[in-house]
Amino acid sequence: MKNAAVILKGVSILGILFLLVIYTGCMTKNSNDTKSVSIGSKHFTEQEILAEIMAVLIEENSDITVVRRFNLGGTMVCFNALKTGELDLYAEYTGTGLVNILKMKAVNDPDKVYRTVKDIFAEKYDLAWLKPFGFNNTYTLTMRKADAEASGIRKISDLIPYKDKLLPGFDAEFMQRPDGYPGLRKHYGFEFGKKPRQMDPGLMYKALQEKGVDIIDGFSTDGRIPAYNFVTLLDDKNFFPPYYATPLVRNETLSIYPELKEILNRLSGRISTEEIRKLNYMVDKEEKRPSAVAKEFLKSRGLI
Amino acid sequence: MSGPLSFLQEYGSEILRLTIEHSRLTAMSVGAAILFSVPVGIILTRARKVAAPVLAFASIIQTIPSLALFGLVIPILIAVNLPIIGFVPAFIALFLYALLPILRNTHTGIRQVDPAILEAATGIGMTDRQILWRIELPLSIPVIMAGIRTSTVISVGVATLAALIGAGGLGELIFRGLRTINYKLMLAGAIPAAALAMFMDFLLGRAEIFLTPKGLKTKE
Repeated sequence: MKNAAVILKGVSILGILFLLVIYTGCMTKNSNDTKSVSIGSKHFTEQEILAEIMAVLIEENSDITVVRRFNLGGTMVCFNALKTGELDLYAEYTGTGLVNILKMKAVNDPDKVYRTVKDIFAEKYDLAWLKPFGFNNTYTLTMRKADAEASGIRKISDLIPYKDKLLPGFDAEFMQRPDGYPGLRKHYGFEFGKKPRQMDPGLMYKALQEKGVDIIDGFSTDGRIPAYNFVTLLDDKNFFPPYYATPLVRNETLSIYPELKEILNRLSGRISTEEIRKLNYMVDKEEKRPSAVAKEFLKSRGLI
Repeated sequence: MSGPLSFLQEYGSEILRLTIEHSRLTAMSVGAAILFSVPVGIILTRARKVAAPVLAFASIIQTIPSLALFGLVIPILIAVNLPIIGFVPAFIALFLYALLPILRNTHTGIRQVDPAILEAATGIGMTDRQILWRIELPLSIPVIMAGIRTSTVISVGVATLAALIGAGGLGELIFRGLRTINYKLMLAGAIPAAALAMFMDFLLGRAEIFLTPKGLKTKE
């Protein structure tokens, strides 16, 4: 047992070496010997569908291999990974780029938002916003159609007489974001009498359908809005900024694979709000896989 | 719509792949935590002044909600030029999370050895090293192993969050299920994760029996 201390030291040194090996092994982020781009997506259905659509389109139209890094936890993870080069592209929303990433004040004019993020991202981060897919995934206030019709509520301003009766159910982000409930209250000059129930966005629609709450911050592209017989209220005072989904790509990647720009821009304006609602619904409710839905869409449009 | 059989047919290979990813991630981070925490825990019993701050630091890490820890390591990783998505950040977060139970139990295990035994050992002329290897470590094996088992079971659970930073694992199925309110998918992630935790705990239980000195074993 004289070797005891030697063993102990050995074990500690091994441990340190082990960590070092992992560290150095990880420093080499992407080997560039094969043509490949990595595509990211946030962890919700629409993001995964868009990422699959871009991935399949690239695979079918070039010899570039696509590495799929889906289900990443939110804008922060995706955007930072894009900056470090671990991702080459993902679909981002113009309003999110403006409000969450650049921390600028919300603007209502879609073109102005697009031009602002395009210019600043190019200059500040060397990232390119390609052409938008066509739909606007904005926040809405959404109610059961029957209730809205019974009370004659069609636009957000119509809510004022009913503000103490309706129980809102909002997701955590909407409760916090300046372009969410805090800003909405100021912009329209009223707040709900009842404290909003905070819940997971996936649950909101179910809660509204089962009359657990009366009004939610539905996403305009969610397929459950038409499927559950909900209506979205007209934003009559133009509060919600536009969120046009757009491929956001590293300029470095575009210079290595110049063909990417043309390939991805084939999707420009090709996905309408109705279309994306349908695609989202296929995954959310019909339990189809995003990859299958993406392929089906591309085929039906003659893109592959 | 579709029975459990066709579900398994469709998702079986994916469940298997994610289970393997999940076990690899957990085993490697807990393994690294053992290699780090056991020697450090021993050193802390020899350096009592630093013991308190080191244990306090490990406790602070443990108090950070696991979901937040995955987000909070991002700026640090950017600063040291490490990847922020995939295996590495998940490994680091899980490693940090696994430290405390092992560190604390190693420290406590050795400290709780009866001073009378230590005195006797010194009395018969054993050196410090001999005392450590022949008295203190064997006597504290059950406590140290309890720490390792706690860490492992916690890590299997926390590793489901790794799916949010692109490290895969069974969390992928769980989150996909949560998002689309698909119970089949949630269970397809949660059941293998629970089974994995039980299986790893079972293996460590066997290891514990193997490592415990004969004299300390309780008759079954």
